[in-house]
Amino acid sequence: MASTVIGAGITIEGEVTSDEDVVVQGTLRGKLIAKDAVSVEQGGSVEADITGGPVSVAGTVTGNITSSDRVDLQNGAKVIGNVKAARITIADGAQFKGNVDMDV
Amino acid sequence: MKDSTVIGRTSVVTGRITGTGDLEIAGRVEGDVAVSGEVVIDSTGMVGANVSATRIVVRGAVRGDLTAEEALVVESGARIVGDLKAPRIAIAQGGLVRGYVRTGGMAAAPRPRAAAAAARTTVPEAKARPAAPPPQPQRAVKAAPPAPPAPVQKAPPPAQKAETNHKPAPRGAAAAGARVGPPPPVVPVLKKGTKAVQKKR
Repeated sequence: MASTVIGAGITIEGEVTSDEDVVVQGTLRGKLIAKDAVSVEQGGSVEADITGGPVSVAGTVTGNITSSDRVDLQNGAKVIGNVKAARITIADGAQFKGNVDMDV
Repeated sequence: MKDSTVIGRTSVVTGRITGTGDLEIAGRVEGDVAVSGEVVIDSTGMVGANVSATRIVVRGAVRGDLTAEEALVVESGARIVGDLKAPRIAIAQGGLVRGYVRTGGMAAAPRPRAAAAAARTTVPEAKARPAAPPPQPQRAVKAAPPAPPAPVQKAPPPAQKAETNHKPAPRGAAAAGARVGPPPPVVPVLKKGTKAVQKKR
């Protein structure tokens, strides 16, 4: 169902492009471009710029996040980078350092 | 399930995939895959790089070398251009493979390409060094043999002399036996000489 999953224990160094959902439980370094939802789960680590639809983060992201829809920084998330999205939520317990750019 | 990684049908990964866990590739991967676990390349999967894993199952397309620590299974519909190496390799009917296939122990020998490359690099040096000195000795050896034949040709005349003596029967018999051999070679020599003389005249 989930189209692309980067499992825990797996490291991808490079560019990932997908027209479907992307779930990151492992490590991704490089670039992540998805047309649909991107989910960085707890334990997941992304050292890359993320471009996608709805982005939800419960893991670690170092890089800019650009979303055509919304960005949710959940409890336990650690994000260092700028976030550009139409809507954004930062949950209690989420760590975030960076700029927020919302379409106003 | 949680440990398994899936590269979806529409996903493209350009880069290196490493780590532990199972990996299912239904999309495209352009970059080396080195995983300790099972790698399954689905019928829609395309891999344009080397793959090494504990176990590899191929139903899709691969352009690159496949190395498995345990087993390598090429199923129907697989299209592989590259070398296969694993202790056990299964190629099912309908599986296409173009490349060097080797089953057996992993540490038995270096990769054929590497060995060939090594041979290419070492052979020229080996040829270059001995090549210069040896030829001279070989020529010397070749030059030496022509000398012995000459004495052999000269040998018959003494035999004829021995035969003319007629006194020692055994010598004469031995000489006669020896003499049977020599004449034939002499004839062609004469022919050659006569021909040459005729041409000159």
